[in-house]
Amino acid sequence: MTHDPPHRGPTHHPQHHPQHHSQSHHRPHKPPPTRLARFGTWLDSRTGYSTVVKLITDEPIPGGARWWYVFGSILSFLLVLEFFTGIVLAAYYDPSVSGAWASTAFIQDTLSFGWFVRGLHSFGSSALIVLAAVHAIQVVIFGAYKAPREMGWLSGLGFMGLLLLFALSGYGMPWDEKGYTAKQVDFMITGTAPIAGPFLQRLMQGGETMGNYTLTHLNAAHTYILPAFAVLLLVIHIALAKRNGVTPKWGVDEAKLARATQPYWPYQASRDAVACGVTFVLLSLIVISTHGAELAGPADPTGTYQARPEWYMLPVYQLRKYFEGPLEMLVVVVSPAVVSLLLGSLPWLDRAADRDPARRKPILFGALFGGIMLCVLGYLPIRHDAHDASFQQSRAEAEERGQLARTLAKKGVLPEGGLAVYRNDPAYHVRELWNEHCATCHSFTGRGGKDGPDFLGYGSRPWINAFLRQPDGPRFMAGAKFEKGMKAVAGTDEELGALTELVYAETGASDVDRALAEKGKGLMSEKDCDSCHDFDGTSGNTGPNLKGYGTLAYLIDVVGDAGDERLYGAKNKMPRFAGKLTPEEIADLGRFILAESRKQK
Amino acid sequence: MADTHADPRRKFLKVLAGGTTAVLGALAAIPGLGLLLHPLRAKSSGSGAEPIRVAAVPADVKPGKPVRVDVVSNVNDGWSRLEKVKLGAAWLVRSPEGRVRAFSTVCPHLGCGIDWDEKKAEFLCPCHQSGFGTDGRCQYGPSPRGLDELEVVASDTEIRVRYQRFKVASKTKEPIG
Repeated sequence: MTHDPPHRGPTHHPQHHPQHHSQSHHRPHKPPPTRLARFGTWLDSRTGYSTVVKLITDEPIPGGARWWYVFGSILSFLLVLEFFTGIVLAAYYDPSVSGAWASTAFIQDTLSFGWFVRGLHSFGSSALIVLAAVHAIQVVIFGAYKAPREMGWLSGLGFMGLLLLFALSGYGMPWDEKGYTAKQVDFMITGTAPIAGPFLQRLMQGGETMGNYTLTHLNAAHTYILPAFAVLLLVIHIALAKRNGVTPKWGVDEAKLARATQPYWPYQASRDAVACGVTFVLLSLIVISTHGAELAGPADPTGTYQARPEWYMLPVYQLRKYFEGPLEMLVVVVSPAVVSLLLGSLPWLDRAADRDPARRKPILFGALFGGIMLCVLGYLPIRHDAHDASFQQSRAEAEERGQLARTLAKKGVLPEGGLAVYRNDPAYHVRELWNEHCATCHSFTGRGGKDGPDFLGYGSRPWINAFLRQPDGPRFMAGAKFEKGMKAVAGTDEELGALTELVYAETGASDVDRALAEKGKGLMSEKDCDSCHDFDGTSGNTGPNLKGYGTLAYLIDVVGDAGDERLYGAKNKMPRFAGKLTPEEIADLGRFILAESRKQK
Repeated sequence: MADTHADPRRKFLKVLAGGTTAVLGALAAIPGLGLLLHPLRAKSSGSGAEPIRVAAVPADVKPGKPVRVDVVSNVNDGWSRLEKVKLGAAWLVRSPEGRVRAFSTVCPHLGCGIDWDEKKAEFLCPCHQSGFGTDGRCQYGPSPRGLDELEVVASDTEIRVRYQRFKVASKTKEPIG
């Protein structure tokens, strides 16, 4: 509205509204103005701000305020909400391979309100796309793209493109399995485009593979470049909307519209405010019921995550399935281009001045058909995945991985990057300890350790039995190379069975044959076991004291100090780990050995 | 345009529009500000924990020859878990009674790194020229207090320092975190 209509300017009417003093309007005929009103007058005389305010508040709505005019305001509100939540998230987000996933997990699970703000930002972007579509559908039905509003329609379409770029760039920023894999596919598709494809891929990806450059580029695009364009386009779009005014319902004559005209404030403003309020409440409810946006486990370049694009990209994804080879490019590049071109030329395809839908059937049916096609193409992959057991299984596993990773992330993530979070897992840590301190001599292969016993089946009857028959065998003490080690026990199968049961009884197993073990005890001196071994847990002898043999407590003792006189004494060659590792680490190693020894190989 | 000012709904709609906008703004601002202001509630990590072994033994610390040692530890910084990073540093000093004392290298004035001036045989802050004796006392310059002493646990073979940070620009020594 560049031409000032006669109703503009300070309003004069006989009614008195003393409470209006606090407003910026200066009403010269009123009793003494308050300090605030005087300040308002002064500020206005220096800046002329009231002109801008009035431009908005006094905008005439021909035919009066309507609920169906609220969508533009909801979109503006959502955009402001995206800007606000985005800025807050930027205060904690680290756009690097080492920190992107970790900082997102930190926002999601550690910071108070983090999940809520991130959820608003994520679901808000989907809401923006949905409402932009509703806004566009409304424009099509009302014929609001017709002269003189063509540029409004084009700037709106441009804005939709911008929204998609926002969403596409934001999706990869958490650097989780989901976003990473989806971006990988996006970049690959870009790369197959003719001529500029490989160049564009390298630019967006920041080189030949995905890495730090990818994140810094996604971040620069998402938080600096795109917002600048968004503000520019939004200002143009709103300025055009103000200049050309709302599009009232078709077929109402000008005089009738003029009679019913209302100013924006407060008639349309109150409807807009309530609509924005309802939108925010609905959005918050979605965020609360889902506990915010999804966050999968950290990106794994070697992983097999089953990538799916963002929901608004599913139609293209589905369409791709019908075309293969060089035709794939046609779908991904040409079909969106054709759709954009068709939409962009709508004001020129549908040129007649009449906006009545009844007389614009071909255009409206065309648009309806296009809309239905999009919905069907978008729904098909969802239905397909819902019936795909392997997809569901893979997603369930990914979900479990994500939960574990996020729990472990609460201890902090090592700077190596997202995947390093799994090193916080006690199970991972103990395996690292084993690899670092034990695996140089011991193994769980069942073939033999390099310089110490192999523990596959350790403490079981067959293991003990085999040990008694050949203590210096490759699976047992051969690697230890004791000078005067244990000699093989000679005897019948029954005798060895009884001695085995005697040792087996020490492990605390529940299926011990007490009578047999008792029989084994009787053979101790006959087989000359007792000259080296005791079973009382206190005496030191030339061989280990076998009290509690094979139990966790026994293993903790051995790992702590195998050279203790109750154990291997002077013969021992294994390092002492008490003092080197914490008691918890030693106990973890003991549990690890017992668990691994029982695994079937 | 109809004379909307005669419309009795006008006042109600104004309150509705203004009120809804205000409530909406507040509802959106609370979680956002709550998240943004997290550092005001966050606890720092790595301060005041167990005494940490430093790379010096008591024999290294000779009278009149302070030794600077880094205090290295594992810390959690935001979302990161960092292994073996510098928490800070300390000057180890042999006191006249023969005890090993440790002073934080953080200047109590505005936090610059305290250096040892070999010629003057005193500690000097390079930013604002506060001078400190080997007993840690402030001799001149703007520092409001002497160097902050850190707790030392020493045996023949090792020195452990309990690293802490203190509020700067304050007359009293108040630990942070």
